[in-house]
Amino acid sequence: MKPPPTMLAIVTDAFGGRGGIAQYNRDFLETLAETGGVSSITVLPRQAPDLFVLPERVEQTPARPGWIGYSVAALRTALLRPVDLVFCGHLYMAPLAALIKRLKGAKLIVQTHGIEAWPRPSRSQRAALEAADLVLCVSRHTRSAVLSWAAIAPELVLVVPDTVREAFTPGDGSTQRSALALEGKRVLLTVGRMDPRERYKGHDRVILAISNLVAKGHDICYLVVGEGADRIRLEALARDAGVSERVRFLGRVGLQTLVEIYRTADLFVMPSTGEGFGVAFLEAMASGTPVLGLGVAGARDALADGELGITASEAEFPATIACLLDEPKPDPHALAAAARARFGRETFAIGVRAALDRLMEAT
Amino acid sequence: MTSEDGRFVVIFNGEIYNYPQLRAELETDGVRFRTTSDTEALLHLYARHGADMVHRLRGMFAFAIWDQARRGLFLARDPYGIKPLYTANDGWTFRFASQVKALVAGGHISRDPEPAGIVGFHLFGSVPEPFTLYRDIRALPAGHIQWVDTAGPREPKPFSNLADVLAKGSANPGPTAEIHERVRAGVLDSVRAHLLADVEVGIFLSAGVDSGALLGCMRDAGQREIRAITLAFEEFRGTSEDEAPLAACVCEHYGAHHIVRRLSEQEFVEDLPAILEAMDQPSIDGVNAWFVSKAAKEAGLKVVISGLGGDELLGGYPSFLDLPRWHRRFGLLAAVPGIGFLARKLIAAVAPTFSRVTPKALGVLEYSGSWAGTYLLRRGLFLPHELPGVMDAEIACEGLRRLKPLRRLAANLTPDPISENARVCVLESAQYMRNQLLRDADWAGMAHSLEIRVPLVDFTLLRALAPVIPAFTPGAGKAALANAPTVPLPDEIVTRAKTGFNVPTGDWMNAAIGRGSDAVGRAPEAKGLISRRWSRAVLNGMAPANAQEQLHAS
Repeated sequence: MKPPPTMLAIVTDAFGGRGGIAQYNRDFLETLAETGGVSSITVLPRQAPDLFVLPERVEQTPARPGWIGYSVAALRTALLRPVDLVFCGHLYMAPLAALIKRLKGAKLIVQTHGIEAWPRPSRSQRAALEAADLVLCVSRHTRSAVLSWAAIAPELVLVVPDTVREAFTPGDGSTQRSALALEGKRVLLTVGRMDPRERYKGHDRVILAISNLVAKGHDICYLVVGEGADRIRLEALARDAGVSERVRFLGRVGLQTLVEIYRTADLFVMPSTGEGFGVAFLEAMASGTPVLGLGVAGARDALADGELGITASEAEFPATIACLLDEPKPDPHALAAAARARFGRETFAIGVRAALDRLMEAT
Repeated sequence: MTSEDGRFVVIFNGEIYNYPQLRAELETDGVRFRTTSDTEALLHLYARHGADMVHRLRGMFAFAIWDQARRGLFLARDPYGIKPLYTANDGWTFRFASQVKALVAGGHISRDPEPAGIVGFHLFGSVPEPFTLYRDIRALPAGHIQWVDTAGPREPKPFSNLADVLAKGSANPGPTAEIHERVRAGVLDSVRAHLLADVEVGIFLSAGVDSGALLGCMRDAGQREIRAITLAFEEFRGTSEDEAPLAACVCEHYGAHHIVRRLSEQEFVEDLPAILEAMDQPSIDGVNAWFVSKAAKEAGLKVVISGLGGDELLGGYPSFLDLPRWHRRFGLLAAVPGIGFLARKLIAAVAPTFSRVTPKALGVLEYSGSWAGTYLLRRGLFLPHELPGVMDAEIACEGLRRLKPLRRLAANLTPDPISENARVCVLESAQYMRNQLLRDADWAGMAHSLEIRVPLVDFTLLRALAPVIPAFTPGAGKAALANAPTVPLPDEIVTRAKTGFNVPTGDWMNAAIGRGSDAVGRAPEAKGLISRRWSRAVLNGMAPANAQEQLHAS
């Protein structure tokens, strides 16, 4: 029997990285290494600002932020060792990954996430993706977008959704509730980056809905977790709307604090129009908190078409919040179990393994 | 239908003609049948042979078998693609149906247009598989199987190949003297197999050789009562273009009951909305198939034999002469890189009228360098370089990139079927017949609850004839078919059929789309130009609503 293949991972960031893409890359690569689908993984990141621990069978080279330095290092690494599989974690790195595929006669997996893969990319990126042996998408929406510009057999383009980490569970959130003085309040929560170039998360929509909710008798507190340069604008928006004392920007928080904040919230809201998937929805549900989104783009998948989360149109969104706050918070354990059954690590591992087996059997 | 142990569930569209033999074999092996249906045979065959079962089937089929134990779905479609099978996969859910419309009606499927399907329709007058008008709906290609499991559908795998059968035949040629005997035995065997039915089997009868000979073979196969349906046109009554008298003569010859259905322009116009409604994917034809099916339904028939496929199998089309001739005449010159493009630009510049009236002449040097290109030139409604002028230029460009029409046509010729006849036979069967004739017969028949059976589109017959197809001289195939029945077709049929018959539907189409009046007083237009306008009218009547504006932006 042939030994499992070796993999080279061309990624923006994975271990020691921040944000959704780094998280997905870690989940994906860890799962591959754990299930024995590959014998070794060499990860080549461009960034790794945080400390990290590597799982077994995984090594990571030092981060190289510069594109030229990165490309040279990647080619050198590729030429010096056997490579059966190239994993490309971002569309814009696909031309480099496709080159390595050609040089090494390896198979290429291209991972696509969200907005980076929605519009038609450059010719070289498109050609690189079309040369892939397998394209993974985090959501149906991203898959559909990829197939709209890529001339590639649709059977090679699979959806493997995000997964939620084990740390997010229902339970006690009282420490945060008292630390943030939330007793008696109805707590809305959004977790996500506030990037002025990507104003799609929908913080604005929540802030503008608050005064009406208060008028209806809800003692609202809106918690905003995450960092980003758009925070200043959102703070001003809250002031102008006269609700600045009800909106609290908490910045970036540690994992344990984040879990407790999720548990504390009455409703997780993220009326985003641009999610590739929206892993924060999963984290909230796994922590037992109901979620509300717009049900557009990748968020439809995270909300499971309304089976797990609640979807509303943009126009109905404020009224739906009011409606949900009128009801008591549903059983956190049932919601968490349903979310985990669908998007837990085990289900994710099955999806990743099935995709890899599909790729390897096509030899 | 579910297997006795509950492991397999089958859903089946079609007819398995060798069911009696399969059943006998299976029963010898100890299988116990619970029903008298050929559907049950599929379950037993799959349980015993897995995917390899498809090699045992003779017939027209599209089916899916769910395997509860492996938690997967097995799909298959017959080698010629007589029965359609469409699939849609959004990455979470896999759906399949016999019609594109059924998938669309089920909701949950994006209606985003597929540029390759739209471009294909403009090139060929029908939508070439695997594409449809919708990006998320694809045909399972003819002669392919597909497996679907937790990771989604796998790429379809071919299990049969027209070119391969013909290449093997060309490599082991049979003597010319055998042509008549092979055609006679092969066609009679196919007709006999296609008569397997619980209900009366009728026949579509024109004044041509194909259907007439099939009628004779039905007699030879032992069917006593035969009702034959002929579609005739009011305005040809009493003229030499009227097929009804000759068809009546054939009926008398073989003692069949003749039903002549006269069609008027008024009825054509009245039915046009229903025709466009029943059309699953846009097609520039199918009008005749619609009315002859309607006539069969009126006669109370549920199953009919059709001579469809005779021209492809027996070298009946002018393309069997034209393609080799064009390819020989211009091919060498056309192989000079860039010459076609330059010639086209030059002619368009110095003789603009010429290029408007005979647009295809401009393409000769560009396309006749390969067999696929020559075929596109001969059969194409528009040529690729014309598309940006008739549809949105960006969709045309993207559609051509995705469709790769020349590469796709050329792929049908792998392995090379060696002889010129065999190459044309493959190109006609895999493109025009599969995407146009068979699709039209299917939707037009289904709209009238009629099963149309095509004994001349049969892999067993193709295998039998493959060694002699290279040896067909012009007219030889049809002559052999005319002699296939014990009582051969009357000579006058064979002679008359050579000149062909007109149908007035082209003029009717033209009138229906509002060009009738301003064409008065002008020289009659080439048929190709009418088809071009008609194709746009059909697309207008059918295209997905959100694609409309993009389609006709020009």
